[in-house]
Amino acid sequence: MDLQMIAYLAELGKLHFSNEEMEEMAVQMTNIIEIMDTVKEIDITYDAEADNKNVYLNDLRVDQKQDSLCTEKILQNAVNDQNCFVVPKVVE
Amino acid sequence: MQIIKIMEITKLNIRDLRKMLDEKQISAPELTKIYLDRIAKYDKNIQSYISVVEERAMKDAESAQEKINNGSASPLCGIPLAIKDNICTDGVRTTCSSKMLENFIPPYNATVIEKLISQNIVMLGKVSMDEFAMGGSTQTSAFAKTKNPYNLSCVPGGSSGGSAASVAASLAAASLGSDTGGSIRQPSAFCGVTGLKPTYSRVSRYGLIAFASSLDQIGPIAKNAHDCGIILNAIAGYDPHDGTASKSNTMDYTSKIGNPIKGLKIAIPKEFYADGIESEVKEKVLEAAKVYESMGAELVECSMPSLKYAVAAYYLISSAEASSNLSRYDGIKYGHRSQIGDDYNELICNSRSEGFGEEVKRRILLGNYALSSGYYDAYYGKALALKQKISAEYDAIFEKCDVILTPTTPSVAYGIHENISDPVKMYQADICTVTVNIASLPAISTTCGYNKNNMPIGMSIVVKKFDEAKIIQVADAFEKKFTTIEPLL
Repeated sequence: MDLQMIAYLAELGKLHFSNEEMEEMAVQMTNIIEIMDTVKEIDITYDAEADNKNVYLNDLRVDQKQDSLCTEKILQNAVNDQNCFVVPKVVE
Repeated sequence: MQIIKIMEITKLNIRDLRKMLDEKQISAPELTKIYLDRIAKYDKNIQSYISVVEERAMKDAESAQEKINNGSASPLCGIPLAIKDNICTDGVRTTCSSKMLENFIPPYNATVIEKLISQNIVMLGKVSMDEFAMGGSTQTSAFAKTKNPYNLSCVPGGSSGGSAASVAASLAAASLGSDTGGSIRQPSAFCGVTGLKPTYSRVSRYGLIAFASSLDQIGPIAKNAHDCGIILNAIAGYDPHDGTASKSNTMDYTSKIGNPIKGLKIAIPKEFYADGIESEVKEKVLEAAKVYESMGAELVECSMPSLKYAVAAYYLISSAEASSNLSRYDGIKYGHRSQIGDDYNELICNSRSEGFGEEVKRRILLGNYALSSGYYDAYYGKALALKQKISAEYDAIFEKCDVILTPTTPSVAYGIHENISDPVKMYQADICTVTVNIASLPAISTTCGYNKNNMPIGMSIVVKKFDEAKIIQVADAFEKKFTTIEPLL
């Protein structure tokens, strides 16, 4: 796997790597993909219909109003102020 | 209380502890204190716990004692348990062994915790694991790199390494773990304890921090199969909070214990006993098969031709799901937030890059690769096709046999510095466990022997979906004929 592909996958995953980390990751991912390539040896096709035949979309719970978590508890793990999440200013 | 009695109490199984508590030979607070003292004494070396919650544990114990006193104790009332640190506990830090969730305090309980609380368990604390349950060594934990109680220079396995090590070292009577590709069974094998991965959907995943949602399943780790059954009785069942939870009826999973093994057909799939498996491991598992044969079971040779593709299929599916599940960690709503970042995109990238460890990043890259345009059909699509093929191969075996017997791991626990830097080697070590998750089946690992250095060897028993009572029956039958060796701490 080349550095360009690593950079593309990192961008998709919202991850930063230093140049040195990119080089190391390229070697490791090349070895990992070699194992993953074994799935190409077998000639089979996924049957989506077979997988979904037992899914009953009408088997849903009743749409009822229920108690939810209180605002204080939801915000306890985040930077917050006046019952809002606080994020850096990104609009000038 | 005599000193000898204190030392022996933590070696007891849940049923014996239940008897002592009910007969008032010991109170729940006294029992809890014994475990907390033992954790303080031994866990500095083992490092199975990330958080020990002494104050809460003593309060839990007092509530349990009230139930015992008024004669309304449930089977797990007053029993001290450890909980894997990816299971949400209201008000108790739940880190998933990641810097990303270092300070995360869940605002709710996972359904399994609610169910255990309703039985008045005593929660001793949260135990270590591989970061986001990705790994088989517990050495990717950002906070507690757990050691194997049988040999502190060896890994305890993973990802539920803290759950298995805490039970093996008698630092908890039992624990909860989670299993996505073997994370309950493999550490149970390495640490000489019994771990049960239930059928996918048997136990609610609500409140389990997601790794790969189509494979994740919570289950017990305990001193024996009977104890696993008692815990499964408490945590199994439908949950409206989990759309994948099964509505099928639960049962008493210990009800088949003691039924004769005579006539049981045990499948021995030859691919699980091939060259990559250490000879001592093969030997002990096949000796266990002979023990079953001596009880009247019939051994049936069979085959699972797709096993050679299983590791690839597992890593493609699980990493694809993980890359999606982990996209929620953006440093905004909860989780680690970087101090560096002038715009939204930079803040997210820095938060994720600082918060996730190396193995998690590798899985995100692999998942993104498998799902990328141009690669999707060749990798993810093919992995899903293999999932169907492997499931069909299991179905074919179960047409002729009742249970399947395999090694749990290709080797015994390895040295802490071996394999860790080689992800490929680590992934390939999952060969014996991943097919069970791929096929959504239940399986148990129990100790079947020790190698020449007294390191435990585990065997796995696999059955049809929702037949956990049979697994417990079959594992228990062997355990009653087998003498375990306790780790020397």
